[in-house]
Amino acid sequence: MKRRDFIKTSIATAAVAAAAPGVLLKRAHAADPLKVGILIPLSGPAGLFGPSSQNCAQLAVDEVNAGGGILGRMIEPVYVDVGVPPAEASQAALKLWKGGGAEAFIGMHDSAVRGALTNLFKGQVPYVYTPVYEGGECSPGTYVLGETPAQQLAPVIPWIASEKGASKWYLIGNDYNWPRDTNAAAKGYIAESGGEVVGEEYLPFTADNFDSNLAKIKDSGANAVMITLVGGASVGFNRAFASFGLADSVTRLGTLIEENTLAGIGAENSKNLHSSAGYFGSIDTPAAKAFAEKYFAKFGADAAALNALGQSCYDGVLLLDAIAEKAGSLDAAAMDAAADGTSYEGPRGKATMNARHVSKDIYLAEADGAAFKVVQTFSDVAPGNNCG
Amino acid sequence: MELIATYGLNFLYAAATLGLIVLGLAVVFGLLGVMNMAHGEFVALGAYSALIVQQQGLPFIAAIPLALLLCAIVGWLVEWSIIRHLYKRPFDTLLATWGLAILMRKGIEVAFGREYKSIDQTISGTVNLLGVDYPAYRLLLMALILVLFILLFAWYQRSNTGSRIKAMVQNPELAAAVGIDTARLSRSTFIFGVSTAGLAGVLLSPLVRVEPYMGLDYLLSSFFILVVGGLGTLEGLLIGSAVIGGTDTIISAMFDKTAGYMSVLVVSILFLWLRPDGIHARR
Repeated sequence: MKRRDFIKTSIATAAVAAAAPGVLLKRAHAADPLKVGILIPLSGPAGLFGPSSQNCAQLAVDEVNAGGGILGRMIEPVYVDVGVPPAEASQAALKLWKGGGAEAFIGMHDSAVRGALTNLFKGQVPYVYTPVYEGGECSPGTYVLGETPAQQLAPVIPWIASEKGASKWYLIGNDYNWPRDTNAAAKGYIAESGGEVVGEEYLPFTADNFDSNLAKIKDSGANAVMITLVGGASVGFNRAFASFGLADSVTRLGTLIEENTLAGIGAENSKNLHSSAGYFGSIDTPAAKAFAEKYFAKFGADAAALNALGQSCYDGVLLLDAIAEKAGSLDAAAMDAAADGTSYEGPRGKATMNARHVSKDIYLAEADGAAFKVVQTFSDVAPGNNCG
Repeated sequence: MELIATYGLNFLYAAATLGLIVLGLAVVFGLLGVMNMAHGEFVALGAYSALIVQQQGLPFIAAIPLALLLCAIVGWLVEWSIIRHLYKRPFDTLLATWGLAILMRKGIEVAFGREYKSIDQTISGTVNLLGVDYPAYRLLLMALILVLFILLFAWYQRSNTGSRIKAMVQNPELAAAVGIDTARLSRSTFIFGVSTAGLAGVLLSPLVRVEPYMGLDYLLSSFFILVVGGLGTLEGLLIGSAVIGGTDTIISAMFDKTAGYMSVLVVSILFLWLRPDGIHARR
């Protein structure tokens, strides 16, 4: 090769090489997988919901990917354990966001972790929060899917009052913000339905003996008990409640009694027990039945039981997809601008986003042995005023 | 009046069940000096024995021999592999049995899953006593525990084995010198202790939540009772159960559950501070 040719070729090669990264990057970007951090409790007290959450999220990811992904990009889910203290959960999310290149987050965890995450994200990355919660989240970039107290109670308390004759309510919950905020909302609806609150009590998480509470409930003459105890406390309370023979005469309503809790309460202790939620494994609509069939076909007949918390991760993926497609972008600001009015259809029915929350169907179920039977569906229930 | 009768029965129930739960720990910690942090997991093993029996469609009562057998086997293995090397090293037993507790919890989780399980009450319904509708199973349970403690007390006071245990506890070297096989006696005592925890698990299982982490509930209150009641005697155990159960019941009734739990902590701290040997300790 002559010297001049060599220089020419070299320059040409260099030019191509210099131009190429841009071209290659751009093409690669379109086909680049979209990393989505899926934040679920895989350990800790809420670890019980880890398997159903992960299954449901994976099912949604597979379906969205089969339909072409989000904006043409395949979702690559990264599951992160957030059944840990908020500071650790926030660290894990930061690592995935800045280090791992995650472009969106879907979270099914407690409010303490949510507070840490909204503080971390500061509206710079889209974040869908899926579980039942106390209401009032309005941070930019945050999209709330879960049932608020207004949704779970506004239609349900009047129904329980008229159908079950509930007029004297006793409110009992664990001592933290979700039960207290839920009961604050409940008091308004109880008063509107013509009822009165005859007792209110909050228990520490360590409580495992409910005898004194049951004696007070009996003494108060309550004919309805509103339960915001969670997990094991709810199981222990409801078992003792029934063993004292209170189940026959007193109606129970819970806003976080899902399938696992009911299994622990047991068939013989579940008489007159009601639960209000956006999802039950036994909802009798074509969409919900098809979803349950797909779930058990994919993960086996003995997969973790379907429940409102786990299933919310499925809807979380659908909502992220819907907002991003409407905005035509995964940019947090563009999504925030487009979010209002976004709607999608899932196993829970149709949901429409407004002011970072969704209006959706609410189901009231009554325990029938160790299973739930939906007794009433309330359509398109508004989430109440959450942003100021 | 009805309310006072209810609280009275609740107090008796709390004291009786706490006494049953703490019995095994009192034996293992009070006599052998082993701080068994896996005590609650043996209670859980009992509860899961009831679950196995229920799943097999056998009568509830069959869970008792199963739980005793299961706990005895696990207890024997644990004593042989871990505990016997650690007698007279209480802090090391605490660490070793805490590790064992984690292992047992995870073992139960692998075998039965994280989910809550429900054990049916064989005797359901309520009985009217002193004008109060009280759960029939609870009344039966209280009677059973009373009989168990009377038998145990009589046996420990009169039997040769009871005397040998007392001799071993007071002076192990001298006991060995007069021909008592202290290694074997310690092993039997440990196995007896964890087996009563299993029995407590069976008997309580229809009333409580059953899940792999249930044992943690029983550990803390058991230690509180021993702190208050003192180590090494049945009387101390019963007094401790009555004080802890009574404080919780009365204060929870007068104020709320948070106050009840706090007063249990305060009582325990005061005892540790002012009367570290408890109300009725050995010697």
